[in-house]
Amino acid sequence: MSEFVERSVSAPAETAASRRPIGLLLVALPVFLVIWLVIWPAINAISRTIWRTDTDGNSSFDLSSYAFFFSDRYSLDNLAVTLWTTLICAVLLLVICLPIALYLRFAHGRLPAYVQALAILPMFVPSIILAFAFIRVLGPNGMVDILLNAVGLPKIRTPYLTPWGPVIGLVWDNIPLTVLILLSGLGSVANQSIEAARDVGANAFRVFWHIILPRISNSILVALSFSVLGIFSSFTLPYLLGPASPEMLGPFMQRTLRDLQDPIGAMTQAVVAFGFCILFGLFYVRSVARSRGK
Amino acid sequence: MTSLPLKRARLDWSGIAFAIVLTLLIVGPLVVVATWAFTEVWRYPNIIPQKFGFRFWGQTLGRPDVWNALMLSLKLSTVVTLLSALICLPAAYAFARMKFPGRDILFFSFLAGHAFPKFGLLVAIAAIFLQLNLIGTFWGVVLIQLVGTLMFMIWIPVAAFQAVDRRMEEAARDVGASPLRVFWSITLPQAGPTIFAAVLLSFVGTFYETEGAWLIGAPGIRTMPVLMISYINNQMVIQYGAVLSVLLWVPSFIALMFARRVIGGGAFARGFGG
Repeated sequence: MSEFVERSVSAPAETAASRRPIGLLLVALPVFLVIWLVIWPAINAISRTIWRTDTDGNSSFDLSSYAFFFSDRYSLDNLAVTLWTTLICAVLLLVICLPIALYLRFAHGRLPAYVQALAILPMFVPSIILAFAFIRVLGPNGMVDILLNAVGLPKIRTPYLTPWGPVIGLVWDNIPLTVLILLSGLGSVANQSIEAARDVGANAFRVFWHIILPRISNSILVALSFSVLGIFSSFTLPYLLGPASPEMLGPFMQRTLRDLQDPIGAMTQAVVAFGFCILFGLFYVRSVARSRGK
Repeated sequence: MTSLPLKRARLDWSGIAFAIVLTLLIVGPLVVVATWAFTEVWRYPNIIPQKFGFRFWGQTLGRPDVWNALMLSLKLSTVVTLLSALICLPAAYAFARMKFPGRDILFFSFLAGHAFPKFGLLVAIAAIFLQLNLIGTFWGVVLIQLVGTLMFMIWIPVAAFQAVDRRMEEAARDVGASPLRVFWSITLPQAGPTIFAAVLLSFVGTFYETEGAWLIGAPGIRTMPVLMISYINNQMVIQYGAVLSVLLWVPSFIALMFARRVIGGGAFARGFGG
């Protein structure tokens, strides 16, 4: 935050009285939108699900919608599949993206530039097109089946419409930002410290474990928080690629709100999602604010 | 001396492995979609289509639902981007240049949306829109997409305004230029490209925004991505979806590559907390 504050302090002294109302006026509309359409809906969802109005118009403290969610088999199954998907995706993302980021950090030349361009490419592919490509490649009689058939192998059991469908799609979708965040964290690892460790005989694994990992642990947490926030309540990919039952919380909320016309139920599910993500959300916001301020 | 060439050869191998695997997994699926778009007949189990051709381009572009969705998407993205620029750019200028009470808190308040799982927040907003009768309306979708653009459209331009050389502005003012003239001739040309990139990003982002449009807009508002969802769900002619994908993806790819070049990779990752 320091640079941001300093810049404003070092600005030429202007008469505060004349500037004050104009500045506030200029930022008023976007700030109002954030309060009305981000902060207020979150508060509203929490208050309307714990402070319910009954048929007589009396409102009272009432947790029955939560009691229903946590006793309903179907809701719990959906929550379980959401947690499972988020966990698997987070692990897979780390396993895939950390080697790519490490390679990109220490390699130079045209080949790494090509690898980096490929790793960032999914950012420019809208998830709706990704879903279509997924079905054409991994769906029944898709490209993978065609190629397996050509070499005389049996068809795959397609992940389309199974819990693995959203996992594959979400990992594909989240590779670019995970790689970029890890790479920017690796930028703070000095070449000298690695060379020094090598000189005293440390092998690649020990260099990674003792020198690199401690320095990028914060970036790993940021990358994980970002993907957890996105994946936990993702909608498009689980809706198009996942099974109808159990479904992830995203499609579940959408169906509860629009098809079952049950806003209280949908808001309860949303608040449950907020609850599971609150730590990641706060950590992520704090990290962005800090890196922005540097 | 002997260790250096060895090290290089090893690095190359891992690079080649990454390049091959990523090409297969990331470019491969896109090539399959592109191939489908130019295919007239492709029956299982042939490895390449029996007949290539443009027949489905004519058919896809001749569909009225495609045209309606395309026009609606362009109109929505234009309205959202203009509104966003109109309210965000002055705010960005104020955040970058003026002092007022609560400035830092208000600046970081735009992060609030990132503290929540996104679709959960959309559902909470939809519950409010339900009471306001904004569900299924054009302006409901405009509002929800506008919120999605706020952070980009404020944070990137703020950085752009802060990067402008203040001494040049002061020099211009010293030789008698009016504040408006200084803004037009000094500030805008320097901050312009980055601001343009932010506007472009929010236009393209809005064009492809799916979740808000689907949750708030259905059934009345059918944007391009919403139309794609129904093409995928209803298993219509495969080529329709493929043609739409190619058609819609190419311009956005060019636009985004341009935007990324202007903003720069490092700043881009840092904006996401890296």
